[in-house]
Parts: sequence; C-alpha cells; structure tokens
Amino acid sequence: MAGATRPATIRERVADSDRSVGRLLLVAAGALFWGWLVVSWVNRWLGGVLVPVGDPLVPAGTVEAAVAALPGLAAYAADAAFVVELTPELARGTWLTVVITAVSLFLGFFIAVPLAVARVYGRFSAWLSLAYTELLRGTPLLAQLFVLHFGLNLGSYVPDVLSGVFPRNVVWVAILGFTLNGAAYQAEYIRGALESVGEGQITAGRAIGLSKLETIYYVVLPQGLRYAIPSWTNEFVYLIKYSSLAAFITVPELYYRADQIASETFRYTLIFIVTGVTYLALVLTASKLMGRVEDAVAIPGLGADREE
Amino acid sequence: MSDGDFLRVTDVSKWYGDEQVLHDVSFEMDRGDVTVLIGPSGSGKSTMLRCVNRLAEAQEGSIRLDGEEVLSPDLDVNDLRREVGMVFQGFNLFAHLTAVGNVALGPRRVLGLSADEARERAEAQLERVGLADQLDSYPAELSGGQQQRVGIARALAMKPKLMLFDEPTSALDPELIGEVLEVMHGLVDEGMTMLVVTHEMSFAREVADEIVFLDEGHVIERGPPDQLFERPEKERTGRFLERIASHD
Repeated sequence: MAGATRPATIRERVADSDRSVGRLLLVAAGALFWGWLVVSWVNRWLGGVLVPVGDPLVPAGTVEAAVAALPGLAAYAADAAFVVELTPELARGTWLTVVITAVSLFLGFFIAVPLAVARVYGRFSAWLSLAYTELLRGTPLLAQLFVLHFGLNLGSYVPDVLSGVFPRNVVWVAILGFTLNGAAYQAEYIRGALESVGEGQITAGRAIGLSKLETIYYVVLPQGLRYAIPSWTNEFVYLIKYSSLAAFITVPELYYRADQIASETFRYTLIFIVTGVTYLALVLTASKLMGRVEDAVAIPGLGADREE
Repeated sequence: MSDGDFLRVTDVSKWYGDEQVLHDVSFEMDRGDVTVLIGPSGSGKSTMLRCVNRLAEAQEGSIRLDGEEVLSPDLDVNDLRREVGMVFQGFNLFAHLTAVGNVALGPRRVLGLSADEARERAEAQLERVGLADQLDSYPAELSGGQQQRVGIARALAMKPKLMLFDEPTSALDPELIGEVLEVMHGLVDEGMTMLVVTHEMSFAREVADEIVFLDEGHVIERGPPDQLFERPEKERTGRFLERIASHD
C-alpha cells in the first residue's frame, strides 16, 4: 500500500505546485491590473499628483527601452510603447465601464427581485412581469438605448442632483437602459432559483403564521437568491461586455475611447486586443468576486438536494 | 367522551376538483385532549388536519376552535395559525436557518418579539425537546429525529393552544422514531391539546383520548383506544388494524 501511494503523492505535489504557481500568476496579474486602474483613477481625481493627467504611469520611452533590451523582443518595443501610451485613456474609459456596470446591476437587482417574485407567486402581476421580461429580452439592447437616447432624449431630463456626476448626462441614460434591460435578465435567473425552493418551505412559513409576502421575504428569498448566484453571475459578466453598447449613444466608456483612438491611429488590431484583454480582466474579476460571495454566504447542506 | 368545548369539527367536506376527499367528517375535542386520526393512506387524515389550520380549505361544514369559526371567510388565517402549531411529515425546516433561527423566526416576525427575546424563547424550546447542544446547527447537519424535534420546537415556540402532527415519524428511520415520540409523550404529560395523524399504533393507544378511523374520507368509527383497538364495531376498522399489526 505504502509503496503504491508514494508516487501518487509526488505527482499530487507537482500538480499542487503547478496549481499554486498558476494561482500566483493570476493573483499577480489581477493585482497589477487593478493597481494600474486604481492608481490611474486616483491620479486623475487628484489632478495629477503622481504623473500629469493624461500621461501613462510609466513613461512610454522607459518601457520601449526595456523591451528593446530583451532578447528577441526588440521588434515589439514600439508596439509596447504604443500600448503604454494608450493606458491613460483606457483607464479613464474603464472607470465608466465599471461604474455603469456596477450601478446598473445594483439598481436592476431591486427591480428584478419583485419581477421574479411576481412571476412565480403572482396572478395578474405574473403576466405583467412576463410582458416586461419578454419585451426587454426580446428586443435589441442597442435599440432600447437608441429609443431612450435619440427617441425620448432622456439625457436632457436628467435632474440637477444627478447632472454633473458624470462628464456627460448621457451616462445616466445608459445606466437607465442597462438597469431596465438587465433587470429582465436578472429576473429570469432569480425566477428559476425561486422555483427550486421547495413547496414545503412555503407551507412551513405559512403554518407559523407568516403571510405569503413575509414567507417569500424571510424564507424563499434567502434560499432562492443563494441558488441564483451562479447563474446571476452570467448577467454580471454579460453586462460588463454589453456596457460597450453605451458607446453608440456617445458614452465615453472603455469601448468608446478605444474606438476613438483606433480611428485616429488606424491601429485597430492592437488597440482592440488590449481593450479585449481589459474586458477579460474585468470579467475574470467579476467571476472570482461572485465565487467569493457564493462561498461567503454558503450554508451547510443548502441546495445540496436541489435539482438544477 | 368529549363535549367539544375546545374543537368541534362538524360535517366537514372537501373536494379536489370533482373528487370528494372528505365526507361529512365530525369529531370533537376538549382542551388537553389527544385525538389520533388513523386510516389507510389516501383516507383524508392529513387533509382533515390541514383544514384545521386552513392549509387546506374545506368547502362545507364547520370547524369551531375555542368558540371561533375557523372556516369563516372573515377569519385572518395568520391569526389562526399563530395559535395552532403544526409539525410536518417531511420536517420542512427552513433550510437556510440554524435550529435556533428556525424556532425564533415565528416569535420574531409573527409575534413581534425582539431578537433577544425570540432567541431566548427558541433556546428554551430547543432545550425542551432535548437539543440544547445543537442550537447553531443547520438542518442538513442534524439527523432526521433531531430535525423533527426542531420542527416540534418551532411549533411550540408560538405557544399554540392546539398542536397538529401530520405523520411526524413516517419519514424517519425506525431507530430515530423513539426520540420524537418521547418528546410527544412529554407534551401529552404537560397537557397539550394534540391532534395527531400517525401510523404509530402503540403510541396512539397509549396517549389518545379518542381514535378517529377515517377511510376514503369517511369517519368509519371513533372511540376510546381500548374500545377501538380491542372491539372495533366496523369490519373495515378491524381489517385496517390487522393489516397495520401485521407490519409491526
């Protein structure tokens, strides 16, 4: 027995160290990415305390020289410098991408929960919820943004308190669009999760004298929302990427800034590879974050016997 | 024989669609009585039990609890249910709450106790069912017998005047049944009024003041356990008891 287990243990150790090296690299990349973003944002808010606003955190020339010195990479030195030159604008655009996604997701959640509850437990309200969900999921998001922006010109109705928070009022229009649209998708995910909360849970809640709504609030939602986390994470990830549609109503987020530079420099491939990697980093962060949230709120045995 | 001062069920009938599941069911209980409903599966015992706290709606008849008409459309079912505790076959513990959380939810949200008061009451009830050492365990971490005892504590925490037991031991492994019956025995000794659906005939015989035998939604026969078990008047009762006995 002992002889048989020893090689396996060594193999496991190798696998473990592989995993921890990969993990370490990922953590380092994440730290670098978010460090770059946060320092860039803070530098801009504080009016350029570290480097003049609009300049990269590391001088492009330094990076170019460093890459040129590396064997075999000399040919890419100019590209590396170009990417570094891009970073201030990308960081600036990413700020809006992050804010639009986070705010829309947050606000959308508070619409999605009642929509999902109405859909599962309502009668007339179930039809209203269904109609809303189908309308917003069944029409192109871009068309919805166009209606809000070009059609209804909502940007000019932004109340004074909100106006001035962002460089352009149209950011609020985008947030509204993504909130309303995202709510429909979130509601679908949450509905599925609510439906998998056992009937016995509701019966038990009603039997101790909780009203139907109280039972939903105190018994069904705490379980259903936990079940919803993995699929809800999809909506988070989609929204990060869909938020790029805001560029089409002139919101200067990540895609908008990238597109603008590309049309000035014609370096589409390089710019959109870097932009794509930025979105990827945001998406990976979101998945990781939601995985953490799921672990943090996990309850022993909850969902173990649930049918997916 | 009870005079039905406390619970009087009169001619209760219920249909699911076209199918009549209860036919003019009547029985009475006094305060402190233990009545056990027995009968084959599908006989309507659980449905009858659920009509008492309106988890099922009887279409005809009358159920008077402590002088109030339970079936009245004006009755607030939530007011009714805070006074009538229920224990389920499948336990139905709130899966996201600890034992204490399960028991405290009703006192906190239905009775409006403070968080501290609710927790105190929950702890006392869990102690009463012998689970003082499992206060912070989640349902999935408890055995079936322990879960059912939490279920009983959850119902007791509302200080009910009537307890309904819907086959409380049917989902349990045989070796876990004893601990639940022991807790129920304790309640009987304390004078709790209990309406019990069960297949545990020896328990029924020991604690019941009256046995009601239901078959296909009809009360076939009812009476004190000694009479019903030893000298059943109806042939169907005898057959059912024989069948049950042969499984023991």
